[in-house]
Amino acid sequence: MKRNIFEITKNVAIWEFNRFFKWMDLIKGMLFFGFFAVVGGVIGTWAGSQAVKTPTVAISDFGPFSPEGFTDGAIRFHDMTTISADSIDSLFQAGDLDGILTINNANEASIRLSSDRAWLLMLEQQLNEIRTEYKLSEFSLDLEVYETITAPVALQRVFEKGSESSVADKIVAGVAILLLLMAVFMGFAYQFTAITAEKQQRMTEQVLSAITPQTWIDGKILGITGIGLVYVLFYGAIGVFFLLGLAYFGVPVQETLALINPVLLVTFILMALVGTLMWNAFLAGVAATIDDPNTSAKTGFMMLPMFPISLSFITLLNPDTIAMQILGIFPLTSYAVLPARMVLTHVAWWEPVAAIILLTATAWLLRIIAGRIFAAGMMMYGKEPDWMDMFRLMVKRS
Amino acid sequence: MITFSHVTKQFSRVRAVDDLSFSVEKGEIVAFLGPNGAGKTTSLRMILQLIQPDKGYIHYAESLQTSGKLEKSKIGYLPEERGIYQETPILKTLIYLASLRGMPKDQAHTSAVDWLVRFGLKDRANDKVSSLSKGNQQKIQFIASVIHKPDFAILDEPFSGFDPINQEIISNLIRTLRDEGTTILFSAHQMQLVERIADRIILLSGGKELMSGTMQDLRKHMGDGQKLEVSFSGDVLSEQLYTSEILIAEQDSVTGMWQITPRPGIALNEALHVLTSAGNIETLRTTEVNLHDIFIQSFGVKQGEENEA
Repeated sequence: MKRNIFEITKNVAIWEFNRFFKWMDLIKGMLFFGFFAVVGGVIGTWAGSQAVKTPTVAISDFGPFSPEGFTDGAIRFHDMTTISADSIDSLFQAGDLDGILTINNANEASIRLSSDRAWLLMLEQQLNEIRTEYKLSEFSLDLEVYETITAPVALQRVFEKGSESSVADKIVAGVAILLLLMAVFMGFAYQFTAITAEKQQRMTEQVLSAITPQTWIDGKILGITGIGLVYVLFYGAIGVFFLLGLAYFGVPVQETLALINPVLLVTFILMALVGTLMWNAFLAGVAATIDDPNTSAKTGFMMLPMFPISLSFITLLNPDTIAMQILGIFPLTSYAVLPARMVLTHVAWWEPVAAIILLTATAWLLRIIAGRIFAAGMMMYGKEPDWMDMFRLMVKRS
Repeated sequence: MITFSHVTKQFSRVRAVDDLSFSVEKGEIVAFLGPNGAGKTTSLRMILQLIQPDKGYIHYAESLQTSGKLEKSKIGYLPEERGIYQETPILKTLIYLASLRGMPKDQAHTSAVDWLVRFGLKDRANDKVSSLSKGNQQKIQFIASVIHKPDFAILDEPFSGFDPINQEIISNLIRTLRDEGTTILFSAHQMQLVERIADRIILLSGGKELMSGTMQDLRKHMGDGQKLEVSFSGDVLSEQLYTSEILIAEQDSVTGMWQITPRPGIALNEALHVLTSAGNIETLRTTEVNLHDIFIQSFGVKQGEENEA
């Protein structure tokens, strides 16, 4: 029997993929999600219809303001200046009125309510507009003059380093990072389940007597990365359907999508793909050293892929610092920092190229190191290698 | 097929294998025997390169190598630490494990079905492994270790977990495998089965070879291979028998019969002289020493002493 290492790696990858990826479970999950979304929507619509009826506000005193300014819109106003306070109070107590508004002077007003209401913000806005008109009239100012005075400065942004990215690019960068995180965390969960279960089910000797630890871990990394990517594609497809739905209802989705820079898009996808492989290689090595995931201190490694994300937020403050340029290329942080930089500032062509090359090289190196740790860790039952052991295994050539 | 040459393996303060040399020839069934901790499993793992020897070397026959490296597809392995994927269908699991040893999927499918038929598990082919009884899971593990028709099979405790009927089935299958061209090295504690199927037996103690050879060779190690079953009338000088340097004596606590084995090099006459001086012999019968006797006499007292220490 002639063995082809690529064929065996492919077999392991497919096996690992099929062990955990179940189409039916995914579809059932989506159906459940859809069911609860519909139920939630129905309940929300019913509850909302109760909450959003147009409030009725009685005005007991207009103060210096003209009653004409109180036009009905989101709030319905009733002039009750001629009605006695007791009668207004009776209507309020009976629930026919949502509030009683009293204007004291041009700067002060009060409203009586049964409790706090969201529509008060709209009332405040309308009162401010009425007061502005009153003051313009008081000072004999023209509305045009007032708008000229209060008009904002039109600040045009001329960047020394490249042009400003579109909102669409920023969204794409954010989505790319989020999807990568999703793929990494899913991969992490499956790696842990796969590897620790094999140790606990005493499968390791059977498999390692047939193939090398490196072949085994390569297949695992590929298979489990595949699961993460399929989930990402699945949810990505749902996103596309959502966008198509928006377009169907007249939202100008196409115009926004047309703003996406295809070069940035390809770079983000490439970095997300290699980044996921790199982290899965790293996490597979860690998982092989864990005997019991419930008690192992090494499960803290799970948070490590979050670190570059926090760095990408710092990028928002100033993407052009030397630190950010270095972190944009450094393989353990580039997958989050570089996309953030690319949408905020000009990035030289060689930076993404260098980042992808370094990311690929690191993924390859981590794969080999993980293989070495895996080779020893998988045969350890009942104990875990300590940090020194792990370091020794990393540098030891089998 | 395999030659161990002065192989040593140390685990922290324990020397699991100590300057061990032996060989397994093509077409043989060789059994490893020894008490727990004798170095059997460590030796088997070293053959599979799951662990490396500290000293010495292991030579593999050309037929087990490809480009100077051990070709694992030509070896089958049933580990002592049993385990199998629990949540996957039986047939798929077997095909996958066979594919890891380079067996094409269609061949693996045919072979897996054949083996399931032999074990009466064909109807369960699409069930999850976890739905099987422990004994049937052991059968699946056995199949997984030999499904690819290996040139050399290493079976660590192949009978453990099986009832006597299935032990018999497994022992027959081991012989069938040998007849079909697979050389077999196995370890076991089921003496009668080992005695019946092994061509040669290697007794290990403390990581070293205590003795090895065919059953006939081992019997010679134990004297002339004869054992006496004796009953006495009246009082017996038990202490004289137990402390004798001429023979090894053991009394069956149920029947009261004495099992007497002359020590190596001791003539039967001398043994009879000790017996007659210890009491009046009522009945006397000679039988052949079996593997159980050899094992007990080789390790029983010594192990007891070690445990006490």
